[in-house]
Amino acid sequence: MNLRALILATGLTFMASAVTAGPLAINLSASANNPVMPQMGDRLSYHTVIRNDGTGSIDGLIVWISLVEVDPGKEQPVDLEDWSAHKAVVARALAAGDKLETDWPIRLIQAGTYRVVISAATRSGTALATSPFADFTVRRKPVVESVRVLPVALGVPIMLLLALLGVWRKSYKSTI
Amino acid sequence: MNRTVLLARKEAGELMLSLRGLTWLLAVAVALSVFGLLLVSNTELSLLDNAQVVYDMASIVTALGALLALVIGIDTVAGERERGSLVPLLLTPVSRDSILFGKLGGVAIAWIVIYALSLPYLWAVGSTGQNLIEGMVITAVLGSPVVLGFGFLGVALGCWHSSTRGALLTGLVALILSASPLLLGPSLRQSAVGRLFDALNPFSAAVNAYDAVMIDSQPYGLQNSHFLVAVIWLILTVWLARSGFRRVSRTGAAI
Repeated sequence: MNLRALILATGLTFMASAVTAGPLAINLSASANNPVMPQMGDRLSYHTVIRNDGTGSIDGLIVWISLVEVDPGKEQPVDLEDWSAHKAVVARALAAGDKLETDWPIRLIQAGTYRVVISAATRSGTALATSPFADFTVRRKPVVESVRVLPVALGVPIMLLLALLGVWRKSYKSTI
Repeated sequence: MNRTVLLARKEAGELMLSLRGLTWLLAVAVALSVFGLLLVSNTELSLLDNAQVVYDMASIVTALGALLALVIGIDTVAGERERGSLVPLLLTPVSRDSILFGKLGGVAIAWIVIYALSLPYLWAVGSTGQNLIEGMVITAVLGSPVVLGFGFLGVALGCWHSSTRGALLTGLVALILSASPLLLGPSLRQSAVGRLFDALNPFSAAVNAYDAVMIDSQPYGLQNSHFLVAVIWLILTVWLARSGFRRVSRTGAAI
């Protein structure tokens, strides 16, 4: 039973790592250097291999990265402007049997659960080719830490207040 | 010791050691503390917002610095006139320029104190993010001429107006108008009028340079045009203060 489950899981994993839409197949894999439990500020990298499995050359290939947040109540596409400077690649042509390899670096800006997907379109193709999803969760990192802000926010006014009281006391004594 | 330096020390001492000056500094510190505490209570800040937070804090420091410099600038002439201490100063055998630059030096020392006061706040909100040191540097480089310019404008207004209240009102209107980029959204500033206002306004020059350096991580070298606007503003206000102060009569009357 366990062996059958393992075989099934392995098969599903294999199926999930490469999707074929038309002649294009997109394989998406996470970099081995990616942190296991990433947090805000970390960098992730994904690697894609886009292969032309058809018999003819493909012209005008455009490949791009998309990111969606899937936290309950926060489902939304993510504007990648701050996350990545490498959002798309283009290839004039991809000959039959050829492949295009690309790395997709991402800087993790906001905590949450995300799915990344790579899509490809061609000049004359009728269908969009997509990679399987790669999921990751970004742990929250305190941006403004109360342990630093509170001593300053309370300490500076208190020091000035003490100085003020000292000056007031001095001037009060001198007037007596 | 040089008379100008002596006067500047006296003016700065009134800020650092007087009840009035310390109350102003306390008000600035409380305003910065409230902003810092508001940020701590926000749990939805993203990593990018950290740079935004430093930018906001630097902009607030510049606005508060300009406000305080304006008030000190006005008080240093109009306030002294009302307290009756301006005429004795003008009757001393010290040149007008020495007195004026001593007073301008007092405004400069006040800004240095406010800037030093703001550094712990900038560190507290920005030390886990990007471009904190760059933010502190650009605030000093671009914020200083803008803030000092408002202080010197205050001196000029103190010379022109017969009452402190009138000078203060005119100065506050000018400051609010100039600091409006902090309140206006980017879309309003993208119109032709908004772009022209941005190009001429020293406060816009400062906050646009802050934005470029702190948020967009641009090098200092690309901020030359902003720096030029701020320096022109500083020169213009020094000229205004000088021409105004020369015309203050020895009876202490306004122009």
